[in-house]
Amino acid sequence: MGAVAVAVPEEFAGGTVVREQVSLWRDSWRRFRRNRLALAASIYLTLLIGVAVVAIFWTPYSMSHLGVTDPYAGATLAHPFGGDSLGRDIISRLMIGAQVSLIVGLGTQVLVIAVGVVVGLVAGYFRGSIDGVISLVINIFYGVPDLLLALILYVILGPGIGNIIIAISATRWMDMARLVRGQALSLREREFIEAAKASGARPHRILFGHIFPNSLGPIIVQATFGIPQAILFEAFLSFLGLGVPPPTPSWGSMAGEGLKAIRFAPHIVIVPSIALSVTLLAFNFLGDGLRDAFDPRQKR
Amino acid sequence: MLTRGTLVYVSQRLVLIAFTVVAVSSLVFVGIHRLPGNAFVSERVKGAKLELLLHEYGLDRPLLVQYQEYATNALFHADLGESFVNRGLKITPLVLRELSVSAEVGGTALIVTIGLGMLLGVVAAVRQNTWVDYLLTSISVVGYSMPSFVTATFLLLVFGIWLANVTGGALEYPIGWTGTYGTLAELSVPAFALGFPFASIVARLTRASMLEVLRQDYVRTARAKGLRERVVIIRHGLRNALIPVTTILGPLVIGIVTGSVVIETIFAIPGLGKEFVESILRHDYNIVIGVFTMYAAMVGLANLAVDVAYTVIDPRIRY
Repeated sequence: MGAVAVAVPEEFAGGTVVREQVSLWRDSWRRFRRNRLALAASIYLTLLIGVAVVAIFWTPYSMSHLGVTDPYAGATLAHPFGGDSLGRDIISRLMIGAQVSLIVGLGTQVLVIAVGVVVGLVAGYFRGSIDGVISLVINIFYGVPDLLLALILYVILGPGIGNIIIAISATRWMDMARLVRGQALSLREREFIEAAKASGARPHRILFGHIFPNSLGPIIVQATFGIPQAILFEAFLSFLGLGVPPPTPSWGSMAGEGLKAIRFAPHIVIVPSIALSVTLLAFNFLGDGLRDAFDPRQKR
Repeated sequence: MLTRGTLVYVSQRLVLIAFTVVAVSSLVFVGIHRLPGNAFVSERVKGAKLELLLHEYGLDRPLLVQYQEYATNALFHADLGESFVNRGLKITPLVLRELSVSAEVGGTALIVTIGLGMLLGVVAAVRQNTWVDYLLTSISVVGYSMPSFVTATFLLLVFGIWLANVTGGALEYPIGWTGTYGTLAELSVPAFALGFPFASIVARLTRASMLEVLRQDYVRTARAKGLRERVVIIRHGLRNALIPVTTILGPLVIGIVTGSVVIETIFAIPGLGKEFVESILRHDYNIVIGVFTMYAAMVGLANLAVDVAYTVIDPRIRY
């Protein structure tokens, strides 16, 4: 009997199979890349951010200039999305609207992370009566009709994009706080926290140096899902005429104004509606992709 | 089901709800009364006449006194005061009537949400990994990302304008309700637009949980003993798959309640939501506070009802 020759692939020739060492983030990126929808969503969102940045310096026409087109004008080469009821160029307004949506979406999440992470870490790490009080407050906020509270808060605070961000964050911080609280509750029992404690680390060092970095994955995922919610809230507020003060356009207010002309110039309401829906969809896909990438064990 | 533990739990929750409602409405009261300007701004009354008006409505008194009176009337006489803009209009009956209108819209939307959501979810799960599944899953992802006013816009556009000949102009914008309450045709578009995003969430959850349940041994047993497929799916599959779905009913109710504000404004439905937005725009603050208090109480009670419903659906859960 002759020896059976087995072709050994080159990389196995050394005898043992060693997987390339990768960090958690590299590993997540590798999984994320395989999700085509999430990848397409991030390309779209990158483009959207590009448009919003360009709109700081340049829009085809002034977003507030009246009579650039005929009122209710349809699409032409010079005005690809036509004009609105006052003859303002829709594509220019759409670009500024992208800015507003992104500022509100990202700004809200910055604020939500700032509040939610601190509150959640403190509640989860110290437990006891502090946790009791914080959890009660969280539960109370969950029992309040959020959009309506945001509406009232915004009216009380007064017009302005900063106040919209505050009003929305005030009604949407609980998801983040609850998530971080849960993370802190489970992480505080782990050995490396015990080791940190034993080596004399102060609580703030343990919270922000150990527990926070280790819950970064879920926090990013939660924030990604929070962005479309905030954008949706802003759209609702401006749709009702209680959003960013005019003449600054927002997709919600453009749709709200356009709805009045739906019978004879439907493009005014359709264009911002589609922009809004596609953007929300992209953020949700991105969130799904990130969730699967950071936590491959989680069931869908 | 109705054990002593449940009763204790329910009463604890009722206390929490009452506390929430009082806390939130007083915050809103204080916040709104500190706003510059008042409901009479639009009437351009000035000087002594304005003083007189403010005095008549007790608005010149210290805030604490005003609050005390407001709270006493609201709590012990169920009297939410009078409108500032429509002089002499009592708010309580107004709000109660509007509540019933909103309940009609919200209830229909809830039926759409649960009915449509479960149907889509079950069909997608049973036909897993076929084109039916992919189509329904995509629809639910898109539906979840589409704001209710966008859905409403497209429905109006398609059925009201492009297909105006077929629908006979029944869905023209703006649709006015002929009576206080809408007919089934008048209700259809608002309820669908309101319920569709939430139906998508229900569909996603139902699908996932059905797939989980259909893999269980007892489903195989049910099939093995020769039950018809429909019985297996509905009685053994769906009933167990519903338990995780009920957990989102609470947020769902909040979503429908708050979403109705937008939908009622679009479709000119004379409900609580439209009143809320209009009162804010008109600075008619007594109505704003009254409606908001009503909403907070409603959401709290709905959440409680959902939590109690768990124990009925899943006897393993006890409080």
